[in-house]
Amino acid sequence: MTVSRAFWKIALKNIGTIITYTAILVTFGTMNMSANNTSLQYEARKPAIVVFNEDENVGITKSFVGYLEKNTEIKPDYKDDDKLKDALFYEQVILVLEIPKGFHQDLTFGNEPEIKMRSSAGYQAELAKVVVKRYLTTATAYAKLHLSEEELAKRVDATLANETKVEIKSKVDSAKYGKATRYFSFANYTILACVITIICLIMISFNRTQIRKRNLVSSIEIGKMNRILLKNCCIYAVAVWLFYLALGFIVIGGEIMLSGYGLIYAINSLLFCACATTVAFLISQLVANQNAVNGLMNVVALGSSFLCGAFVPAEYLPDSVLAFAHVLPSFYYVDTNNRVMNLESFDFASLWPIILNMIILVGFTVAIVIVTNIISKKRQKIA
Amino acid sequence: MKNVIEVKHLTKSYKQNKAVDDLSLTVKEGEILGLLGPNGSGKTTTMNCILALLKFDDGKISIFGKEMAPDAYDIKAKIGVVFQEVAVFDELTVYGNIDYFCGLYVEDKATRAQYVDDALKLVGLEDNKNQYPKQLSGGLLRRLNIACGIAHKPKLIFLDEPTVAVDPQSRNNILEGIKKLRDDGATIIYTTHYMEEVEILCDRVIILDHGKIIAEGTNDELKALAKIEEKVTVEVADLSPKQLSGFEKIKNVDAVSYEDGVLKVVFGKGKNNLAEMIEYLKSNRINYSRIFAERPTLNDVFLELTGKELRD
Repeated sequence: MTVSRAFWKIALKNIGTIITYTAILVTFGTMNMSANNTSLQYEARKPAIVVFNEDENVGITKSFVGYLEKNTEIKPDYKDDDKLKDALFYEQVILVLEIPKGFHQDLTFGNEPEIKMRSSAGYQAELAKVVVKRYLTTATAYAKLHLSEEELAKRVDATLANETKVEIKSKVDSAKYGKATRYFSFANYTILACVITIICLIMISFNRTQIRKRNLVSSIEIGKMNRILLKNCCIYAVAVWLFYLALGFIVIGGEIMLSGYGLIYAINSLLFCACATTVAFLISQLVANQNAVNGLMNVVALGSSFLCGAFVPAEYLPDSVLAFAHVLPSFYYVDTNNRVMNLESFDFASLWPIILNMIILVGFTVAIVIVTNIISKKRQKIA
Repeated sequence: MKNVIEVKHLTKSYKQNKAVDDLSLTVKEGEILGLLGPNGSGKTTTMNCILALLKFDDGKISIFGKEMAPDAYDIKAKIGVVFQEVAVFDELTVYGNIDYFCGLYVEDKATRAQYVDDALKLVGLEDNKNQYPKQLSGGLLRRLNIACGIAHKPKLIFLDEPTVAVDPQSRNNILEGIKKLRDDGATIIYTTHYMEEVEILCDRVIILDHGKIIAEGTNDELKALAKIEEKVTVEVADLSPKQLSGFEKIKNVDAVSYEDGVLKVVFGKGKNNLAEMIEYLKSNRINYSRIFAERPTLNDVFLELTGKELRD
């Protein structure tokens, strides 16, 4: 009881640290959730263009302008060139197209006409150019058949009228679960920070040589004391987990948290909390200085969060970084969260990669416990 | 009186260096035993071996009639230890620290609260009980260190240099507290290199050097080993070589030294040496500003036995 009481008094003395990291999770985690929002809903946007037609609006030229009207948003003529330049700069207009005189004749005879184009700098300009190029390539190809202008226009219109229907087969709304994934992946940092900082500070206090000596000469069995400390560390880690789970209910919503997906997020984060606790134990055996804990915690928590894709999605990370990340528990924790987001069904085949990740996480926990025990026993030998 | 501690032929080496060399001692119930010796003489090592904090090479240690071992929790329940270095939690208050260490021995909440209050009173920290260790001065921190070691009212107390780097007021407070513990029935082992503290506190003294006992006994018994009866110190502004050599002819004088205006005359035996000295100074018209006589100290004993000062 005495040991437990001292444990929680020391933990409460560091309550500011827990509040700070929770604030970081709520602030940056929520920001992170709002960003990178990938939705299944797709709506094509037509690029805004300006067309200067110096040719007669007949035949293939009429067809071309009609095609542009259908596939782009043609803005009224900008008479003032300066205004047009400004519009291009501010991307109010993406592309400026000048159809030269004799355009319909050139195209009918198979000569690709020279069209002057000015564009803005963004990707939409390239898209607009593709739209223009698509018409010209098709028309040039048909022109080789030596068709009449009327027939050529008809054939091109018919070809370009064909549309491919794209249907997203996935039943999973990755936008919906993406929020939860980003919350729990960001929690990689805060769980590590809260668990490592507090447990390390407490354990370093108890592990100080003079305090250890005093405990060793007391009538309390040292094994019993270690068990009490371990039990309290576990209670603390579970409390951190429950707290972030409860916060998850508020931030993500009960619908996801109470689903099978939510259960996987919860189990995964619990296993990660257990692993973080053992990491904290290991660090507390290696570091004797409380001032060094914050530095080391930042290296571990921030480092693993960056390397394992907790902050930046793994697909943006270089292969070499991801290859190294495989030796860190955080990688498997974050990877599980990412897999949950795209989980189609709850059959064994779909769940197996997730189960495998969890087994690896447990493996890390066991391995760290063994290493910590070896170091701890060596340290206990004062003589 | 019963023997509380019996140490027989204790030997402890660090590689080639023998820290404790075939040391045997007994501590009797209710006494304050002083372990006196210079730094590195083996005091703390001996204490750590007795407390089963260190494995030793040879020997046997029994406390309260039972063999001491790391898992001898029944013996440990009756022991209190105050280590040389301050061992407290920075995150706990003065009261919280004493309560924690007392709680390792005493489970009952009401009893513990009483014991903690008693310990606070003993070391004079009642007004500081809600402060944190970092808010305390060095002396108060030492007092807290003592309170943490003795709050559970142990029957046997080990105090390892508890007054190192302590201001005079705190030192007096600590020494008074230790006397009070003895008066309450505790047996105390007090290690120090301050001979004055040993003379004030200890019923019996063991002088250690290089891990061996070089002398053992009461203060008077040890001083009898010094082979000197009295030291007379005189502050004399000016003294000619002839006058100086004249002091050596005084009856019972063993040694004379004169340095920086201070004349020291050592008498091997005899009484009324001070009176004879004054008479000699008068008859030879030697002006002096101050004169006093001292009985031999434990430092003189140590000097006699080892040829070096205790604080060397």
